[in-house]
Amino acid sequence: MQNRLTSLSFIIGLFFSIVSLILLIGYLAGDALKEKINLYSGFIFLVFGVFMMMSGNRKPD
Amino acid sequence: MKLHIADYLIILVYFAFVITVGFIIKRKIKSSNDFLSSGRNIPLWITSLAFISANLGAQEVLGMVASGAKYGIMTVHFYWVGAIFAMVFLGVFMMPFYYGSRARSVPEYLSLRFDEKTRGLNAISFAVMTVFSSGISLYALAKLLEIILGWDFDVSIWIAAGVVMIYTFLGGLTSAVYNEVLQFFLIVLGLSPLVIVALQDAGGWANIKANLQPQLTHAWKYMGDPDSNPMGIQFMSLLFGLGFVMSFGYWCTDFLVVQRAMIARNMGDAQRTPIVAAIPKLLMPLIVVLPGVIAIALMQPALVSKGFQIPANKEGAIDYTMALPSLIAHYYPTGLLGVGITALIASFMSGMAGNVTAFNSVFTFDIYQAYFVKNKSDRHYLLVGKFVTIAGILISIATAYVAKGFNNINDFLQLVFSFVNGPLFATFLLGMFWKRTTGHGAFWGLVAGTFAAALTHGLTIAEGKGGWIAPLYPIRSGMGQAFIVASVSWIANFFTTIFVSLLTKPKPEAELKGLVYSLTEKPKYNEQKWYLRVVPLGLLLLAITIALNIIFF
Repeated sequence: MQNRLTSLSFIIGLFFSIVSLILLIGYLAGDALKEKINLYSGFIFLVFGVFMMMSGNRKPD
Repeated sequence: MKLHIADYLIILVYFAFVITVGFIIKRKIKSSNDFLSSGRNIPLWITSLAFISANLGAQEVLGMVASGAKYGIMTVHFYWVGAIFAMVFLGVFMMPFYYGSRARSVPEYLSLRFDEKTRGLNAISFAVMTVFSSGISLYALAKLLEIILGWDFDVSIWIAAGVVMIYTFLGGLTSAVYNEVLQFFLIVLGLSPLVIVALQDAGGWANIKANLQPQLTHAWKYMGDPDSNPMGIQFMSLLFGLGFVMSFGYWCTDFLVVQRAMIARNMGDAQRTPIVAAIPKLLMPLIVVLPGVIAIALMQPALVSKGFQIPANKEGAIDYTMALPSLIAHYYPTGLLGVGITALIASFMSGMAGNVTAFNSVFTFDIYQAYFVKNKSDRHYLLVGKFVTIAGILISIATAYVAKGFNNINDFLQLVFSFVNGPLFATFLLGMFWKRTTGHGAFWGLVAGTFAAALTHGLTIAEGKGGWIAPLYPIRSGMGQAFIVASVSWIANFFTTIFVSLLTKPKPEAELKGLVYSLTEKPKYNEQKWYLRVVPLGLLLLAITIALNIIFF
């Protein structure tokens, strides 16, 4: 796990996953973020984030 | 433009991540080389994305969108005439010398190839330029946030500078490079939805073409006559001034970008870095030029009902630098607005961190160690590197405040930088490919080139700028003037270097091995698969670039 945390692709993936969750939870939970563009962008960020985390090297970069 | 909690949360997450990267990298920093040159241990995908991200600062993002709005699709020449050809040239021909010579910086290569005075001239001018550029970047960020969000100028300066200081102080160049890659994805993914929704709102590319003057949607068609295109230049000025002198001068000699290739794990990766970087660079106009063209199309009578407007400046003319922030404000709702603003902040911080890390390498290796304190322990130079990082940030902050007090200082500094950078490529070209070039030739060539640049600027006038000696030669656009100044300075450097070299004694050939093309063993690519070899990759990229130029002719 520690190795993964020092992998740049994992860090980038984690960042985009967190941002996507802000957009998606915000879209589902409140009015301020209830715009389709937040939903679509949040979904794409989530896919990208998960892909980057999964593709993170087992060895640190 | 008003931010909500979700927007602030995204900005805070970004700050937390870049600082965390600094703490993670800190554990790997053991020597001055780790801190200042990343120990030459960075994987290819990271060096490649950092290579273009170092150039994806505020000037690139805001400036290219502004140029897209002002000059239209012709702005792609910075990519499809300038950058790609220069990046391929750097990868195929120049990286073997930079990397193979084991130089830690571009000025150090000049010292190996020529002499200490040429290195000193380049190192001092580069150090001054980078630290002032960092300050200008900081000023522009704080000014932008003050205008679009109403944030306090001082708070913006100190927070942005503080975050950059933390992660560059902790992790040095590696930390800056890692964050540049994060910033690259943030800028690309953060601005992509904007391009899609704005393009859709404008009715697609076909509708944009129908509503704009044809000069704004053709890259080459109107380049035959300077009076018929918005840049006011003829295609030969563009090809030589931008395509050759300015682009090759920047991409092949500016240590800020070359440094990202010099930290690769091996020679093959160092050569592939600019070539792999050229692939996303080829597509970058979609993110940074197209929004400008869309913005100006949305202000045409047929699309005025969309309600989009770029604000005017003090003189009442369109303030093109506000094109991107205006698009973000118009199309992004709360949430994605936070992503867009974070992408803008990232572009400024990326530019600043890149300048600071290049500054501390050059100052420590090429000024402090070369001229002041030569034989100290590695720990000493590591501490100096860290101290210089803090000093660089503090000078940047001071520069930002000076820029706030004197509006014209930005223009003045950019002008001086162009005088110094313009002729530089001639020195490297002759130094790497003509073994007869001498240190005296290189030094006086640089001096003559800089002097010629200043003289040309003083005798030409464009958009009210220049002509401070005598406004003898009017040029329609500032961009065209920049191309001509760079061309003249390059020619002056080229011929002065040759002339002085022929009158002075060259270095013995034994000292030039690995530094000059004819005396260096050529890299062998035969054993590699074609897609790992730089020549086929480079040729493929050039073919695609030429095809794009034809498509948007």
